[in-house]
Amino acid sequence: MKSFLLSIMLLSGILCFSQESYQSIILKKELTEHANAVLRDENILIEIEDVDKMIVTTKRVVTVLNKYGDRYVRAYDFYDDGDAKIKSQLAYVYDKMGNEIKKYKQRDFKDQSAVGSSNLYSDNRVSYLDYSPMSYPYTVVYESEVQTSSTVFIQPFHPVDGYYVSVESGKYQLKNPNHIPLRYLETNLDSIQLKKNNTEFELSYEVSNIPAYKYEPYSPQISEMTPKVKVALNRFNLMGVEGRANNWKEFGKWQYENLIKGRDELYAPTKAEISELVKGVESDYEKAKLIYEYMQGKTRYISVQLGIGGWEPILATEVDRVGYGDCKGLTNYMKALLASQGIQSNYAVVYAGDEQKDIDPEFASMQGNHVILNVPGIAENDVWLECTSQSLPFNYLGDFTDNRHVLLIKEDGGEIVKTPNYECAINLEETLCEIVLSEDTFTATIKKESKGIPYGNNYHIQEQKDKDKNLYYKEVLGNLQGIHFDDLKFENDKEQARFSEELVFSGKKFHTNAGNRILLPLNFIEPEIDMVSRNENRIYPIEILRGFTNKYQFNFKIPEGYAVEALPEAISIDTDFGSFKLSVKESEEDPGTLVVKRSLSVNQGHWPADKFEDFRAFLNKINMLSNQKAVLVKNG
Amino acid sequence: MHLKFHLIALLLLAGTVQAQNYKFGKVSKEEVQETEHPTNKEADAAILYKKQSTFYDYNSSTGFALITKYHYRIKLYNEDGFDWATVNLNAHVSGSDDEKIYGIKGYTYNLEGDELVEEKLRKDEIFDEEVSKYRKAVKFTMPSLKAGSVIEYEYEKSSPFLTSLDDTELQTTIPIKKIEVKVEIPEFFGFVSHYNQLASLFVPVEQKNEPFNMHAQNTNYLQKVYSIESENIPALKEEVYVDYLDNYAARIKWELQYTKFPNQPMDYFSHSWDDVSKSIYDEGGYATELRKSNFFQDDIDALLAEAQNPEEKMVLIYNFVKSKIAWNDYIGYTAENGIRKAYKEGTGNTGDINLLLTAMLRYAGLQAYPVLLSTKSNGVPVFPTRSGFNYVIVGVQLGEQTVLLDATDKNAAPGELPDRARNWQGRIIKDDGSSDWVYLLPTYHSSKLEYLNFQITEDLKIKGKRTGVYNRLAAKNYRDKYRGINEESYIEILQDGKGDILILDLTKENEHQIGSDIKEVYQFEINNGIEAIGDKLYINPLLFLAEDENPFKAEERTYPIYLNYPAKYGSTVNIMVPEGYKVESLPESTMVNMNEDGANFKYIISQSANFLRIESSIELNKAIYAASDYEYLKNFFDEIVSKHSEAIVLSKIEDKNESTELSEGR
Repeated sequence: MKSFLLSIMLLSGILCFSQESYQSIILKKELTEHANAVLRDENILIEIEDVDKMIVTTKRVVTVLNKYGDRYVRAYDFYDDGDAKIKSQLAYVYDKMGNEIKKYKQRDFKDQSAVGSSNLYSDNRVSYLDYSPMSYPYTVVYESEVQTSSTVFIQPFHPVDGYYVSVESGKYQLKNPNHIPLRYLETNLDSIQLKKNNTEFELSYEVSNIPAYKYEPYSPQISEMTPKVKVALNRFNLMGVEGRANNWKEFGKWQYENLIKGRDELYAPTKAEISELVKGVESDYEKAKLIYEYMQGKTRYISVQLGIGGWEPILATEVDRVGYGDCKGLTNYMKALLASQGIQSNYAVVYAGDEQKDIDPEFASMQGNHVILNVPGIAENDVWLECTSQSLPFNYLGDFTDNRHVLLIKEDGGEIVKTPNYECAINLEETLCEIVLSEDTFTATIKKESKGIPYGNNYHIQEQKDKDKNLYYKEVLGNLQGIHFDDLKFENDKEQARFSEELVFSGKKFHTNAGNRILLPLNFIEPEIDMVSRNENRIYPIEILRGFTNKYQFNFKIPEGYAVEALPEAISIDTDFGSFKLSVKESEEDPGTLVVKRSLSVNQGHWPADKFEDFRAFLNKINMLSNQKAVLVKNG
Repeated sequence: MHLKFHLIALLLLAGTVQAQNYKFGKVSKEEVQETEHPTNKEADAAILYKKQSTFYDYNSSTGFALITKYHYRIKLYNEDGFDWATVNLNAHVSGSDDEKIYGIKGYTYNLEGDELVEEKLRKDEIFDEEVSKYRKAVKFTMPSLKAGSVIEYEYEKSSPFLTSLDDTELQTTIPIKKIEVKVEIPEFFGFVSHYNQLASLFVPVEQKNEPFNMHAQNTNYLQKVYSIESENIPALKEEVYVDYLDNYAARIKWELQYTKFPNQPMDYFSHSWDDVSKSIYDEGGYATELRKSNFFQDDIDALLAEAQNPEEKMVLIYNFVKSKIAWNDYIGYTAENGIRKAYKEGTGNTGDINLLLTAMLRYAGLQAYPVLLSTKSNGVPVFPTRSGFNYVIVGVQLGEQTVLLDATDKNAAPGELPDRARNWQGRIIKDDGSSDWVYLLPTYHSSKLEYLNFQITEDLKIKGKRTGVYNRLAAKNYRDKYRGINEESYIEILQDGKGDILILDLTKENEHQIGSDIKEVYQFEINNGIEAIGDKLYINPLLFLAEDENPFKAEERTYPIYLNYPAKYGSTVNIMVPEGYKVESLPESTMVNMNEDGANFKYIISQSANFLRIESSIELNKAIYAASDYEYLKNFFDEIVSKHSEAIVLSKIEDKNESTELSEGR
């Protein structure tokens, strides 16, 4: 019966090919405009046969317009030993005239282990089409059928999966003959051509003619702007573990019961060691800090993902023995260590990365790609711990997991909370430079202090080798020529999360000569914000995820025999986006010294697209004003 | 007083090193206590001991097996060294034959208080992975690491591929305190050893003959025994502009010259470059592949119907192959699929594609020959070995000239090779089996010439036109990077880093005409390119064409500086002085030669009426500069950067009449 059905499907597939044309030359202009690839036709059929049986049938037709579009072909599927099986795979390649030039049967697909570079081992494998394009454009038709038992993940409807790829037609169908209750959440469907036919248990969407999204700087993540429908079942299966949930509370409870609970036992000697470590310490906060530092000293990050182990932490006793684990294992271990001293903490699932992606508070499903630890009740605000780092200060998350919704997995159920936000005033860098200029060289001392997010970006430098430190600063100070460092000093105040750098160095001529004048750029260190290109047709809103404040003072001792001829005027700019101040004076107590004070602060926030020109003007002004020069003239 | 103390400490240390026990499991407290490498304080880790023993094992039922035993003891000074505790061992698979890795044992040693504790690597922490059809891997990471840990592991590898011996590695990116290698080769396998000539370090190799024990058999056979025992091998240094760092490591390569099994005739492989070339020619199936022509004859006949001369034919066939067959990213000097299949299927490895090209060129009556070479990642073939080559291209004899072709690279014109193939020299094989060296690095200059014409508007903006002409490998580079990119993305790339600029009316000529110069023109407007201070204007005349950073930052250099190809970078700028301004001062013209003709820089500025013309030209005359040229090269770029930063000063003319007189007076 089954094979009969299959052959019918194949037949209809073939019929399909002869009816449609995969010529690339007839594509509509609106679809090829700033596109590297066009998704001609995507047809995803999800059949939920049971709580532990789902079949996903994919047909994906992509016309690739140039080499940057190759990656959108996505003619591959993942599988593993126990859970997901590829039942069939097939691909055809067409040239631009729509002539078939190649055909790949399942056995022609390449098979490879899907161990990423960040994993030591994983049992995931991938079967992929290995096609070397001869010329552009070309079209690939990919068809596959994958069966899996893990219905906890339901492929969302998400036709636009990147910048510079347009969609001619996308279909998504979810069949659910056994009427397993489901939930779904639609986002960004308003502005597109859409046909929808949903019932209580089944879904059907059809979109067409979505032009390619074009990247714009300072815009929200593309995934926040593209159409998407997320789907989840209220009864599901994860590698043989069944569950029921229709909100975060229940979903968290299920995760707690099935993936976390009981994995945080420790052996008596370890508990004794920790008790010894915190002996005599009064506050839970101080205890937690000591334990965190102990954990950092003892462990490192190594990722092994095997079976259900991809979703549950390895036992705390295992981490204790081998001294390594992935984010789940290390967080769970830290949780266990704290628990041994009666400090309660929560396993927190998060999307890591500087884009501040949220666990969707409105939609309970398997989400996140990282785990951190939340420790409530030991300080005024919750304490947050990143357990995969050997060097971060206690209660410092940085831009890896800041300011976003996360899921706490607690004994009594899931709870969505937000991680701390590092505000503009906290993200502070202060720099003082003393520069002594001579005709052909200069010497300088830079003292810099970083706090907040910049702390996390900068403190690594102290651990680098001397040679690498030198190269790093030569890159950072790329506007200075021929520099040679005499001394590099660092102070890492982990208590305050404050990092200080002190550089003593010399370099070749910093100024430029123009006849008997010297042009002295006042931009000894360039402002840490790039300009943006003009864009009269800005489409997306402006987004600045993290504000920051930079303060600089440059004291220039001017060369012997020169006097100041002209100095830029002091200026102060205040806008919605931030503020900028610059002043230049010849010091009264120390004649021959120019004192340049510059401060820049950029605000966190969102602004509509029509403010883009104002924003650009602000950035350009910062750049232009910072770049001003003083004119010195030779005496007599 | 202090000095004396240090001296004693040092002597003590030396004493313990002498007494060090290198047996597996005999890690000492002192080794775990050590906090930094005695001579290389920067080292994150060090190999305290490496032992390798390679031999042929004979078993009367299964025959020979090639066995290698490894033993590593590694010191991890800090967290950055922990990478050395994660081990990835590769094994080749070829059909039903495969290498096997077994007998893995490992321990981590730490100090707890004053006590040395060990933690065992467990069996369930060792993972077998089938990476692909050709490769398996065994992976593990050592448990319980701390800064200061010493790890120790050993394993064996057994190989059915008796005639290929892995390179013996003697140097790596961390220091090695002690290394012991023994390679025992029975007389049946005529291997010779070749020491990497590019290595700056020499490790002596001892050689002797010993009886070879074939177990139950008592015939007297011999084996050659190579032994290496060395101490304090320094780490390889990482530098920029290096072709391939691993090329400079001390190592031994093994070349099989013959096999001679009992009661069988001798089977020769190779002695000389000619032999190597010939054996590849014969065994790589070149002779048969290159004679095949029936399957493409009609196509080539049609293609060449109008062709006039050999050069035209060559270009037509070369372009035809490039358009017909896509490279599948696999390299090799043999035709993996066979040229007929590759032609039919439209895809193949380097061997398929370039041998097919050779066959077609020959069919058309050209003198075309395979050229064997080694890609950068395969090292430099400085001694005769077949494994020294891993790639094949085509050499066409046109009169006195040999033109090199590689049809796997769509953006390469005749005479241009992809970066991977531009590795020192290759071996061209003639029909009679004779062979000769050809130089693969380009000797011609490739140029990027840019022209700016601009004027200054009343509101002190800069408006102008930029023309860029890219030639030879500079054009190929351009195509490799930008060919096919959509215009908006490309304009963003162009605008990046050029200040408050707007780029308009972009046109490109010959972007797809491989081999032709690319001409790229655009209009631009810059809002903040001019400094107005008082009544003066300050302008950097090269605008965004100025070299504003020296690419050479490190103070010392160990390896040659690899710059890809001889190059010329020219910038010509014409500026119209705005009405109401006169020239107050100009940078001086200058000329700098580095090491006579190694490189030169010219900067010439001239004025006629209210036009200024600036010509800057940088010529780098070599593809590779010796490490001893580094200081010169660095200073040379300092001069360029400094000159390129200089400004033109214009000042306002107060009174029109006065200025006319002044300029007439000059």
